[in-house]
Amino acid sequence: MDKRTIKIVCFAGLRKYFGAETTVAVAPEATYSDVVTKLATANPEAKEVLKSCRIAVKEEFVPLNEKLKSVDTLFLIPPSSGG
Amino acid sequence: MKHLQYTDIDYSKLFDEFRHPNNGAVVLFSGEVRDNNEGREVTHLEYEAYEPMANKMIAGILEEAKSRFKLNQAACVHRLGKVEISGCAVVVITGAGHRKEAYDANRYIIDHVKNDVPIWKHEFFADGTSEWGQNCDCVTDANETGHKHHHHEEAQ
Repeated sequence: MDKRTIKIVCFAGLRKYFGAETTVAVAPEATYSDVVTKLATANPEAKEVLKSCRIAVKEEFVPLNEKLKSVDTLFLIPPSSGG
Repeated sequence: MKHLQYTDIDYSKLFDEFRHPNNGAVVLFSGEVRDNNEGREVTHLEYEAYEPMANKMIAGILEEAKSRFKLNQAACVHRLGKVEISGCAVVVITGAGHRKEAYDANRYIIDHVKNDVPIWKHEFFADGTSEWGQNCDCVTDANETGHKHHHHEEAQ
């Protein structure tokens, strides 16, 4: 089956590696974790920080081992540093 | 947004408005910008958030704290944008019948806001460099509050 292209919105220190937005092409069966792996392959310098990132979909965190829902945008959330 | 703002936080005003006839204790915490971090001179901070999600999560943390600690009132506002030294970056106010609940809830709220909510600190140093902050003092706090530590969860 054809791959689909997902938009990834990046915040804070992640923009250094990927800009404010990037895209990845994923297989229909892909998990969120697969997306993170693709990003790490695209920019190996980001590999360490990606290990501590979470992904949000529609303003909710999603388990990384879940299959992608039918959305076209993911929000890549680096470790919080508010306060 | 109710819990996020780009302008100065007027915590005196928030405190004055924070009145409830059942309150026997009101605790106000102000997280402020230090002029140093790990031996480096800090000139100012800038905060960024995934705003709609951060606002919603702070509202959720306040609701959870109100029910868990039987609070009469709870408020939290976090700054975005540039905050100067000694500026207020975040304020948490809790009101309860007694001081234990007010203190405990206040700590619960600030810990969860710092550790969970998608807000990021960009530190600017006197030597002209800058870095995105890494909070993570929740290793100890986590055990006290039951916070589940997510920062080192492997991506796969």
